Amino acid sequence: MSVSAVLTAPWNVRARVRRWLTARLPRSDSQLLTQANVYILPTRAGWMFALTLIVLLLASINYQLNLGYLLTFLLAGSGVVSMHITHGTLRGLTLHLRPVAPAFAGSAAVLDIVLSSPTSTRFGIGLRLLEAPVATLAWTNVPAGGQATAHVSYVPGRRGLHDVPTLTAETRFPLGLFRAWTVWRPVARVLVYPQVEADAPALPAARPVSGAALQARRSVGGEIEGVRAYRRGDPLKLIAWKKAAQALATGAELVSRDTSTSARQELWLEWQACARLGPEERLSRLAAWTLAADRADADYGLRLPGAEIEPGDGDAQRARCLEALALWR
Amino acid sequence: MNAAALAASTRSAVLQWPGWKRLPRDSRDTLFLLAVIAWTVLPHASHLPAWSLWLTAAVLLWRARLALVNGPLPGRWVLVAVLIGAIGLTFWSYRTLLGKEPGVTLAVALMALKTLELRARRDAFVVFFLAFFIILTHFLYSQSMLVAIAMLVSVWGLLTALVLAHMPVGKPGLTLAGGLAARTALLGAPVMVLLFVLFPRIGPLWGVPQDGISKTGLSNTMKMGSMAEVARDDGVAMRIRFDGQAPAQPQMYFRGPVLTRFDGVEWAPVGLSFAPQSLPARAPALVTRGEPLGYEVTLEPLRLASVPLLEATTDVFPVEGYRLVPRDDLQWLADKPVLERLRFKAIASTSFVLGAPRRLGELQESLELPDGFNPRTLAWAREFRNAHKGASATRLANELLQHIRSGGFSYTLAPGNYGRDAVDEFWLDRKEGFCEHFAAAFVVVLRAAGVPARIVTGYQGTDLLPVDGYYVVRQSSAHAWAEFWQTGTGWVRADPTGAVAPDRIGRSSRLAPLPGFVAGTLDAMNPQLFADLRRAWEAINNRWNQSVLNYSRGHQLDVLKQIGFDAPTWEDLALLLVGTLICLSIAGALWAWLDRHRVDPWARQLARIRDALRALGIAAAPHEPPRTLALRVRERLGGAGERLALLLEALEARRYGRDAARRPDPSMTHEFTSEAHRLRTVAPR
Repeated sequence: MSVSAVLTAPWNVRARVRRWLTARLPRSDSQLLTQANVYILPTRAGWMFALTLIVLLLASINYQLNLGYLLTFLLAGSGVVSMHITHGTLRGLTLHLRPVAPAFAGSAAVLDIVLSSPTSTRFGIGLRLLEAPVATLAWTNVPAGGQATAHVSYVPGRRGLHDVPTLTAETRFPLGLFRAWTVWRPVARVLVYPQVEADAPALPAARPVSGAALQARRSVGGEIEGVRAYRRGDPLKLIAWKKAAQALATGAELVSRDTSTSARQELWLEWQACARLGPEERLSRLAAWTLAADRADADYGLRLPGAEIEPGDGDAQRARCLEALALWR
Repeated sequence: MNAAALAASTRSAVLQWPGWKRLPRDSRDTLFLLAVIAWTVLPHASHLPAWSLWLTAAVLLWRARLALVNGPLPGRWVLVAVLIGAIGLTFWSYRTLLGKEPGVTLAVALMALKTLELRARRDAFVVFFLAFFIILTHFLYSQSMLVAIAMLVSVWGLLTALVLAHMPVGKPGLTLAGGLAARTALLGAPVMVLLFVLFPRIGPLWGVPQDGISKTGLSNTMKMGSMAEVARDDGVAMRIRFDGQAPAQPQMYFRGPVLTRFDGVEWAPVGLSFAPQSLPARAPALVTRGEPLGYEVTLEPLRLASVPLLEATTDVFPVEGYRLVPRDDLQWLADKPVLERLRFKAIASTSFVLGAPRRLGELQESLELPDGFNPRTLAWAREFRNAHKGASATRLANELLQHIRSGGFSYTLAPGNYGRDAVDEFWLDRKEGFCEHFAAAFVVVLRAAGVPARIVTGYQGTDLLPVDGYYVVRQSSAHAWAEFWQTGTGWVRADPTGAVAPDRIGRSSRLAPLPGFVAGTLDAMNPQLFADLRRAWEAINNRWNQSVLNYSRGHQLDVLKQIGFDAPTWEDLALLLVGTLICLSIAGALWAWLDRHRVDPWARQLARIRDALRALGIAAAPHEPPRTLALRVRERLGGAGERLALLLEALEARRYGRDAARRPDPSMTHEFTSEAHRLRTVAPR
């Protein structure tokens, strides 16, 4: 049974109870782990260990072996201590979620979690989504009085602005007889862009801006000829590296491409252009086109029913368009 | 297989040791676990059949090789086939799969094979738990301190491997994991001590198989040559501490089984069957002279109902869990075989006469000889009697002892094998042997001459020098002597071995065989040092035995008495244990409840500072560090707030600076709040 099936099955009382319990947890981006929110139970290995201890004890009683008693009780003592160490590995730890970068539906979203330990070194702490299988645990050690970062990734299914899923941190250190865990609901939300359509058709043709005085001059190699001196803040991709190399060799400054000359053509990514597709598929295609246009360094705008984004370029334009696609309804 | 694949496989077959530090983590961890397993199994090498050792070594080496070349683990069918083979060989070796030895053999085979299946963490746990079980089985063979230390190392190694398995990040060092494992075990030691002291020692829950425990030392019967085996055992049989002056060495006879029945091959006691109800509780016709001597015995588990005690022990103080009674022949019997180390007090008189027989047929039994055995000795005895017509039993015995002295007999521990008519062969032909040969021949001749006689087995003498006040009786002090019936007096002791080897009686380690190579060299180089070392070792070992191995229900009840119980029972013990555990749990729960509300001291300090600032009308959000607050204080208060700002900067440095302190300074908090209070009263806002 898959995870989602467990979630949706109405007769699955355990899952329902768990969801109800989880929903009662307060949300926060930074959680200090204390006695109140760290839980601990024996693992299957812990039960096996208890069974082993009983067998050892019975053998010691039957053969009247004082060394057998010592062995049994030494192991029992170590087991009890390991319970405290396991709990103490999580207790006192602070979990903090860094701002979450937007992600695309269907591909991984990465949560950066900072763990800080004010006191001792913590070994073997694993983080994962509460609903994800155990194999997805991201392991980390936290140095004494320091911080460590763990990256938990998951694949969001739908576009939109979603709550960060409930996370869990667990540890079995040192002996694996007990598992201590905590459940954490961060308050942050993650923006999920539509899934990018694979093998989307080519971009629609760009049209020259009406009334434009100048056409972009293009050389034979397709490179834009208009250059100007580098100004602080110019993005790296604007630097004309070939020319810059020559300029640097002669002791001159870096040179950037002059985008003002290329801004004469503009590209509209339109809802109407994706005929014969369902709404989500259209959004997927528009997302793919947005990325393609951004890669092509073109000026582009986006037209959705009830929303229009003026042509522009750069990271800000890309983020604006994708956000519009993510939140469109 | 094509040429390239062949070349690849031969390349991978050449093992290259990359150095311990450069091993990949998985390989290193696996090799470490294999080494720990080998160390754990190793002490069993002397008990296990050869095939089991070879199989274990082969499997462990194979697994080590796989770890080094990162090869694939064998399929499940291979393992099943090897396991079936191992079970078959076990059955072939022991003719059964039940019992101690087959059980240990199978457990070792299982653990070795399981290492070939270390895929998931669950598999690793099976190995760990099997290893803990195998550690316990070592104690069935020996509970000596050396075994304990070796097994402590084993437990430590296994815990280290467990800790390593739960440090999934990077490549943690073995020393780090070993330290963490040792810390866990050390913190657990108080729990161990508490449980060890208070866990009620109850008897076996069900019958222990006869072969359950190894057995050396005295037995209830005697065959020619059987005592030579015992002589090679340097182990301790018991320790004696005398209340007063210790008796002279030649007087220290510890009386064990008295052997009257002789079937031509084997000597056995009369009607020694374990039926506690039918034990004769009446005392033998014993007359003692002189001052009674009190002494304390620490008896190693001899796995016998017969308890060898100093001749002649008249009283034994009650022993927890056992009932000790004297038989007619002055042999002390417990109502069940003694399977644990016992410590008890007794009273003896070394000067005594065992008088009139109390049981019908006792003397008759002591005259019987089997038909058709040792005819030449019987003929010799008749001639001997005819030569001493009318002589008393004592005179006959003395004549015999004189014959042994002058008849060309010699004392040796390696007389070779004797045939069917062993006494004939010994008495008339080869004339060499040790205590059991002399005692047996002596008794046969006396019986044939018409004097009731019997063999007494036990121990004679102790180590000459006491260790910590304890005289050590070793298995190598095992001895056999004779008793004959002198009409009008009673049973008289005669030690024919003393006649041929006088220094054999009253000298320590008399049955000692040749020492081993190391001991021999050391002894030759510096006998004094060797003796000192040996004595020191004995002292430590005695402490170990007295305080750890000998700790029994009696000691537990003593502990209870010391802490104020009047008449403790084992139920009190159980209640005390449960009570202590409950108290500890409640203390733990209380601490946890208090800890729930614990706040980081830095956060508490900052909260108080924020409150003080808010009272001054300065907004301070929880996320703002002291540096930001200092800026705001300067902004709002100007020069008046300079002192507060400096304090905040000092706080920042104390918490985050180069020499950051672990805890906040409470005086700093106090200074801050009082300064804030002063500002508020001077310039109320």
